Amino acid sequence: MTRAVAAGLLLLLAVACTTPEPPRAEAGAPENAACAPPQGPPGERLPTTIDVVEQAYFCILGGYYRAPAMDHRDLLVAGFAALTRAMPEAPLSLPALTGDRRADWAAFEAAYRKTTDREDLAVVTLEAMVAALDDNHARWAHGPDRPPGYYDGDGYGLGLQVSGDDPVFVSVVEGGAAREAGLRPGDVVENADDPELLRPRYPDARPVELRLRRGDRRWSVTLTPGLYPRDWATLRTVQARLVDDAVYVRVRGFSPDAANRVFRSIDRLRAGRSVSGIVLDLRGNGGGSPLEATRLVSAFVHGKVTSYLCRADDRCEPGQTDDTVPLVGLPVVVLVDRGCASACEHFSSAVKDHRAGTLVGTRTAGLISGPAQPFLLRDNTVLSFPTRRHLGPDREIVDRIGVAPDHFVPPTPEDAAAGHDAALAKALTLLDG
Amino acid sequence: MRRTLAVLLLLTACSTPAPPRSAAPSPRPPEPATLAAPTGEHPVGTTVLHLTDASRPDPWNLDAKARELRVTLWYPSGRGEGGRAAYMSPRESELTLAGSRAASVPPDILSRTVVHATTDAPAKGRFPLVVLSPGFTKPVSSLTSLAEDLASRGYVVAGVDHTYESPATTLADGAVAECLACDSDTDPGFGTGVVANRAADVSFVLDELLAGKPALIDPTRIAMAGHSIGGASALAAMAADKRVDAGVNLDGTTYARLPRGLARPVLFVGTPEHAPGGRDPSWDRDWTLLTGWKRWLVVTGADHQSFTDLPQLQGALDLKPPPGAPSAARLAEITRAYVAAFLDEHLKSRPQPLWKGPSARYPEVELGS
Repeated sequence: MTRAVAAGLLLLLAVACTTPEPPRAEAGAPENAACAPPQGPPGERLPTTIDVVEQAYFCILGGYYRAPAMDHRDLLVAGFAALTRAMPEAPLSLPALTGDRRADWAAFEAAYRKTTDREDLAVVTLEAMVAALDDNHARWAHGPDRPPGYYDGDGYGLGLQVSGDDPVFVSVVEGGAAREAGLRPGDVVENADDPELLRPRYPDARPVELRLRRGDRRWSVTLTPGLYPRDWATLRTVQARLVDDAVYVRVRGFSPDAANRVFRSIDRLRAGRSVSGIVLDLRGNGGGSPLEATRLVSAFVHGKVTSYLCRADDRCEPGQTDDTVPLVGLPVVVLVDRGCASACEHFSSAVKDHRAGTLVGTRTAGLISGPAQPFLLRDNTVLSFPTRRHLGPDREIVDRIGVAPDHFVPPTPEDAAAGHDAALAKALTLLDG
Repeated sequence: MRRTLAVLLLLTACSTPAPPRSAAPSPRPPEPATLAAPTGEHPVGTTVLHLTDASRPDPWNLDAKARELRVTLWYPSGRGEGGRAAYMSPRESELTLAGSRAASVPPDILSRTVVHATTDAPAKGRFPLVVLSPGFTKPVSSLTSLAEDLASRGYVVAGVDHTYESPATTLADGAVAECLACDSDTDPGFGTGVVANRAADVSFVLDELLAGKPALIDPTRIAMAGHSIGGASALAAMAADKRVDAGVNLDGTTYARLPRGLARPVLFVGTPEHAPGGRDPSWDRDWTLLTGWKRWLVVTGADHQSFTDLPQLQGALDLKPPPGAPSAARLAEITRAYVAAFLDEHLKSRPQPLWKGPSARYPEVELGS
């Protein structure tokens, strides 16, 4: 589940960063292997060669926060293993690796060049190296990310979103194959052993068979991933309305203006009336800008650390609240779930640790290794990874752990089928009490 | 869409509107603008309609259970009757200028813009209908120069203010709706959503205008024209509503999925940035889907606002025209001439020489396709 959520978030995360600092010069890295943040729109895509893999290898070793504590041979082994899988017929064997980053690269490269000059194999190799970091904020963006016929706002996939772990059930029918097959919120997916299969990404178009249950009825459908238009109302980053006496604000991502949009919504809706508090609905919020998360925290608490960004040697830089943001001065309940990831967890952990509000829902995603910084490779693709790791205000690791809610209110298939929002109901009860 | 904002000179509604600065005393306070006189044979009347679509909630104000729209009608009228209409109210002027580059001029100056239509003028005759839709963050009054001219040439023009998509729309009860949409333009699916919503607005406006078979409007001859996302909305409305016989897109990046083989007439009028094969691929994409009469014009020296009233308002707002731009009068003449030629050709079945090839009268206009 975790990995699958990550897949959907990565695009957002990749652009979510403050200006990155270039990796420190790697001792012994070849001159042509330096990597720097992209400046402006990327140039024309060039072939991915073994030289690009080399650049990425030294880029990671020079800048990735965990690199000083990492054995570089793990990257080479992962890349080489992928190569052997891609070329089952080739008599490949990994040359001796000595523990010297540069010498080991040279040995790896020589073995590679002797075997192949196919571009797709360089791609396979680099993909495997990045995957070997096993880091939810490490990504190499290189594929065609938009299917032909794409219109702004389209979705790609089966046309559904799922919730829950046991059971996994359909929470939203967005369109596409799921809508055509008549799926409804609350339908239980009985064969969701690998929920990642429910979230295919372009260009994956393999049909997926689902065994479904609705009440006592059981049936199977085969859904083929594809492009489909989505309801625009479900895509808007910030939406606000009054619910009972509370100001309800849904924030689907920490886009560059998100905090100000939330503040304007609150100001508008509380003007001229008395409200019981704020419900911030961050369910499904895949993250975005850490600055926006910090600014949003700052509307509810001042003079605090919202997170630490740390290097491998535990040199940490605290991120303070922005005390120029006016305090809202109303109680706040934050709705969280497994879809709340990255900057959303930065926000949630800060609110929780400082008791600036109450968290309702389920544990967050645990996808917050650190803010991803982009680096331009010579084939005009972008490699991104954290140069520092994220810690919560109590210096706790949130990555892979997530943030537990103060009140555990899990989604259920029955509620989804009935359109009942138990977490929101709980939030309103808390604000009334 | 973003470009709309980038080149926006008049309205910067997407930032928090700053309170109007008390202007430093300027040596000569700017005078309000007078719009170019309409060129057609009819005097022009104008009136405002407040329409409420109770069948759908407002897409921007989630606490509004119905969609309220303000429609400004311009129509051919009898001569010399009624008082001169207002361009917008002083309050709308103030809100429109707040936070813009023109913030140092008197805040009511737009409301003092001199127009040519009169209020309470009797309608005379029966005419084709043209729906107008403004650019994002703009009121439909930003297309008054075009609207008055079309009405004088024998069209009923229905300009739609898409509520909450510009800084100031006065509603039926006198409340002024602010721009709730203005900070949403970076959301995924924003353009697609806005044009779909505007198409729904237009279908509702057509339902209302045509209900009761008004004597003034010929319901079999309807076109839509718009600026920027309003032009993109013209295509969306054509795709969604068969009553819209023809469409004009003034420099708007397009967003709607068009049905393959949309066979009704379409006119694209673009700046050089919207030339075929240019930076915005949306027109090239849609061009291949259009199978009816179609023309793609590129106006040399034009910028994104050239087809609106803005060039005529720049003096009053103490703004400089972009270097190399044709004069405000010339831009109005070009916009009016080509839009009217398109409508005359297709709603009135009067063949227009302008479509035969490059025009010696308008050397700035390249007839792309």
